[in-house]
Amino acid sequence: MKLLKKTIRRYLVYSVILLLVEIPIFYVVVQRLVLQGVDRDLMTTKELLKPKIGEAVVKNTLGQLQFADRNISISITTISRVYDSLASVEIYDSATGRKVPHRILTSSFSINGKPCVLQVKTSLLDNFSLIANIVKVQLALLVLLLLGLLLINRNLSKKIWDPFYHTLGKLQRYNIDQREELSLDQSSVKEFNDLNRSLEGLARRAQDAYISEKAFTENASHEMQSPLAVLQSKLELLMQTSPLTAEQAQLISELADAGRRMSRLNKSLVLLTKIENNQFADVGTILLRPVVLSLLQQYDMQIKEKSLDVTFEPGDDISLNADRALIEILAGNLLANAIRHNITGGKIYITIKDNCFRVCNSGSQTPLDEKKIFNRFVKGGNDNNSIGLGLAIVNTICKLYQYRLQYNFADNMHCFSIFPKDEDKV
Amino acid sequence: MRILIVEDEKELSRSMVKYLQQENYLCDTAYSFVEAMNKVETYEYDCILLDISLPDGNGLKVLEALKNDRKTDGVIIISAKDSLDDKITGLKLGADDYLPKPFHLSELSARIEAVIRRKSFQGSNTFVVNELSFDLSARVVSVNGIPVDLTRKEYDLLLYLASSKNRVISKNAIAEKISGESADVYDNFDFIYAHIKNLKKKLTAAGCEDYIESVYGIGYKFTIR
Repeated sequence: MKLLKKTIRRYLVYSVILLLVEIPIFYVVVQRLVLQGVDRDLMTTKELLKPKIGEAVVKNTLGQLQFADRNISISITTISRVYDSLASVEIYDSATGRKVPHRILTSSFSINGKPCVLQVKTSLLDNFSLIANIVKVQLALLVLLLLGLLLINRNLSKKIWDPFYHTLGKLQRYNIDQREELSLDQSSVKEFNDLNRSLEGLARRAQDAYISEKAFTENASHEMQSPLAVLQSKLELLMQTSPLTAEQAQLISELADAGRRMSRLNKSLVLLTKIENNQFADVGTILLRPVVLSLLQQYDMQIKEKSLDVTFEPGDDISLNADRALIEILAGNLLANAIRHNITGGKIYITIKDNCFRVCNSGSQTPLDEKKIFNRFVKGGNDNNSIGLGLAIVNTICKLYQYRLQYNFADNMHCFSIFPKDEDKV
Repeated sequence: MRILIVEDEKELSRSMVKYLQQENYLCDTAYSFVEAMNKVETYEYDCILLDISLPDGNGLKVLEALKNDRKTDGVIIISAKDSLDDKITGLKLGADDYLPKPFHLSELSARIEAVIRRKSFQGSNTFVVNELSFDLSARVVSVNGIPVDLTRKEYDLLLYLASSKNRVISKNAIAEKISGESADVYDNFDFIYAHIKNLKKKLTAAGCEDYIESVYGIGYKFTIR
């Protein structure tokens, strides 16, 4: 869930609860306050009427008084109890034909020795409609307020988080392989500024470490070339010396083999760093089938040497946008592996179809460890001639061009499949 | 034949001198860019072996200077970089060949010979060893004037051996020569034995003396007594 959604959702829930709770409470409270006011008015009226009633009783004009106000009625009773009672009742109104809520004060008192009952009533209709209107206005205000708050909050959040999303986007696009620095914008928010500066620092340190590690491999392999050349040349000179015994010859031969392996290892390391440094930038359109055909021709002797049965099924050719040298290395390494790790009289299947280049070969009966084989210096079996960089190089090239590389083992065949990116399809 | 070796790695330079002296070349050495420029300006060489990365300058500058002076010295670039760019730049500037380090001295010697041959015998491209005669442009070998039917690889192999006569050529060097980059795929180099056997059979059938002998399993030697 997005951060913005999360905060807004909280706000919304809070607002709705607040509205649902607040409105009834408000209504009840206002109603009570209004009733209190009405009651007070009724009592005042009663107190004001009392002397007049007394006068009327003395003058015996109580009957006249009664008709002065429809809301006031007075009667002489025999009960001489003093009490005040307030009640809400609904009284039928003949004018509107509806029941109208009223507040009635019934007061019993004795005046000039005569007990009498005074009833004062007042209509609550106006009050209640006022309350209803107040609640409505209040509700509208609240809703408007909440909506406004939500809107402001949303926009503000968007604006405030904008630098954050900028940073995020840049981080997602950031690639440590590329030599460019991670430069993030200045933000007016201190926290984001701190975050950006820390990220820049982190990226710089990571890149420094990455570059120095790469430079080390690069330098180490370059520096190794000279002593290797010296070693090889001295061995060759040693071969020319005479007399040369069989024992010496054997030793020289073994040394030469070790030297050769070392120089192969070195060449592969140099190649790896070069690919990682993106030094193969001669990108063009290459068809895979001719590349494979020429490789098969190149490896013809090795294939015959091991009496391998090679089946090449070119379906729809795949056209790649890449550096020719790298594609040749990619296909060459896969083929070389299929030959090298094969058994005498074994099989190799090569297919190009459905946007997939697949090389399958017979070999050892057990599947390889899929998680490890593409790492550097992981050797298949105990083959002394293998330097464990062939698949690492394949993997690096696939990474460079964002091809998907997959290994699986089925029917005693080791299969390596490469799926180029969709836009590279013919 | 006079050769200049421009190489800052002294031990490697010494190895090359020693090997090439045995092939009867006169060798001069230069360990730095300045030294190389001095020698190139003063003397004429049949072939210059040029290392690109020198401590005090780029070897390609020496090549440029040579071409600007319209000198015809043959130039073979030997480079530790093994980069296609260097190769292309070098060949564009007029180098005759390019050899990445580490290389086999026998290979180096064969390349020098090819360069010198190209420079000195313009037109007639033949190379003769006793009854064997190589037509270098047609890539055909004849025994006593009669052409022998060899595969391309067998021809390369025979020429390689014959041009370093009386020297032991290691199996590794032969394997790299005839299979190029794909040599790495081999588990071992026993396949060379089969090639040599076929080659010897064809030569003997053509009436050629058996010059090729095996040296204790390290390699082969083209022996002329």
